[in-house]
Amino acid sequence: MSAAIETRGLSRRFGARLAVEDLSMTVPERAVYGFLGRNGAGKTTTLKMILGLIRPNAGAVRVNGIDVARDRIGAARQVGALLEAHGFYGNLTGRENLGLTATLLGLRKAEIDRVLEVVEMSADADRKVGGYSLGMRQRLGLARAMLGAPPILVLDEPTNGLDPDGIADMRRFLRSLSERTGATVLLSSHLLGEIEQTATHVGVVNDGRLVLEGELARLKADLAPELIVRTGDDTRALSLLLAHGRSPVAAEAGLTVALRPGEDPDQAAAAITRQLVESGASVFAIGPRERSLEDIYRRVAGFRSSLAEAA
Amino acid sequence: MIAVLSVELRKLNRSLAALLAVAAPALIGLIAFFSLLRAQHPMPWEKWLQMSAGIWAFFMLPMSVTALTALVAQMEHAPRAWDHLRALPVARWKLYAAKAICVVVLVAVMTLLNQLITWAAISAATALKPAVAPTGAVDASKALLLNGKIVAAALLMIAIQLWMALRFASFVPALALGIGGTFFSVVATSAKQGVFFPWQMPVNMLARDAWRIETALALGGGLGLIALIAAILHLSRREVL
Repeated sequence: MSAAIETRGLSRRFGARLAVEDLSMTVPERAVYGFLGRNGAGKTTTLKMILGLIRPNAGAVRVNGIDVARDRIGAARQVGALLEAHGFYGNLTGRENLGLTATLLGLRKAEIDRVLEVVEMSADADRKVGGYSLGMRQRLGLARAMLGAPPILVLDEPTNGLDPDGIADMRRFLRSLSERTGATVLLSSHLLGEIEQTATHVGVVNDGRLVLEGELARLKADLAPELIVRTGDDTRALSLLLAHGRSPVAAEAGLTVALRPGEDPDQAAAAITRQLVESGASVFAIGPRERSLEDIYRRVAGFRSSLAEAA
Repeated sequence: MIAVLSVELRKLNRSLAALLAVAAPALIGLIAFFSLLRAQHPMPWEKWLQMSAGIWAFFMLPMSVTALTALVAQMEHAPRAWDHLRALPVARWKLYAAKAICVVVLVAVMTLLNQLITWAAISAATALKPAVAPTGAVDASKALLLNGKIVAAALLMIAIQLWMALRFASFVPALALGIGGTFFSVVATSAKQGVFFPWQMPVNMLARDAWRIETALALGGGLGLIALIAAILHLSRREVL
């Protein structure tokens, strides 16, 4: 898989503050890449450098192989963007707003109807944007980003300000977008759940540095397997398992028990059940624990509470 | 460039800037209407049109340029549209050049509208008070030449105000500069040095001394064009954070 977006050693300083430091990321073609980090971590600054809106102090960005610093316009032709600030003109209708961008991109009017249909905004397209809800603006922003069917979409916090139904719709839409259009999607978010439910790949940025990157399924698979055990008395089961050389952790759903290196999960489940039952504890359920993006975070140094809370 | 210009003009649809473009000259028309109703003796058409051009160049033009440039710039600043515009595959200088051309064209249209509305207002007032009907004929070419010069001399003021309005996301610096410039221009009307003051250059087109007209026209128009180009280049190269 070749790279749709590639940054190498990207750094950007604002006065004394280093907003992005030596950031090298690779967004594979046709991936839905979740760019995750808490507020102020450097996500938007990175996206702005990818879009050529601000210049890096060091490093380079290539979009579909085009160096942004050398050919910004060529690189911009590859990308449709939905930025945090929508930049719509409230005195104009949704259709008129899209018409402005379509004119600048040299597109026909039929393309406006197409993207309006994709985001299900055709019925409201002739109302003034000044009267739109945040969710409608967000969908219109997405429609504008898709004008001309660019091969890459850069979406900065696309679910910001949406109500729960809007968030669910947007997630569904983003998940299907790459399959339907073949586009590569780079979306930034500070919400673990959002990335987990939409992305195929993930990059985690913290204090301007990329601390983790990879295919989400592989990252999850790389984590040591764990079992989740539900018992009649978790406190007693905890001390029993400790006595058997395990390292159980009390969680909401029961006790999580990390497996030893090379240990077969089925064999381990049988052994743990036996040990607990023989010691008089009642076991209600035992099975492999589904690994989440939050587990991956826990492995990343210095990246614990804030994002997990945000999720 | 034509596409960028058409986009810029379409943005004005139902905007405050478009409303201002009609409202400001209409105010002078209103003054002209009541002036004729109060007049005791007939005056030539030339005088009426000159009076209207004088009020325009002296006060309403600098104030309108201040408000117009601020409104046009706020159309982009307020919704933070710059990021979207500057991320498009369009040369950035074209975005700013289109904006500058649009403002200059609007100012020219407002200047022309001022004369047309004055003509209409005087004609309407004449119908109510025929005794003071303007004498002579309307010399359209002379009026066009005078108003053309006023617009040309205003170029430097337009360039300064537009740069200020586009450079700062807040409208306060541009507004303060425009109000300050107009204020000094009004209080120092008779000062010889006024000819070098951008906000007073347009009104100098009505002066009797040829050197005042020539100096203000050369500085306002010539320097104005250079300043406009410099502003476009500067704005297109800087980062909008």
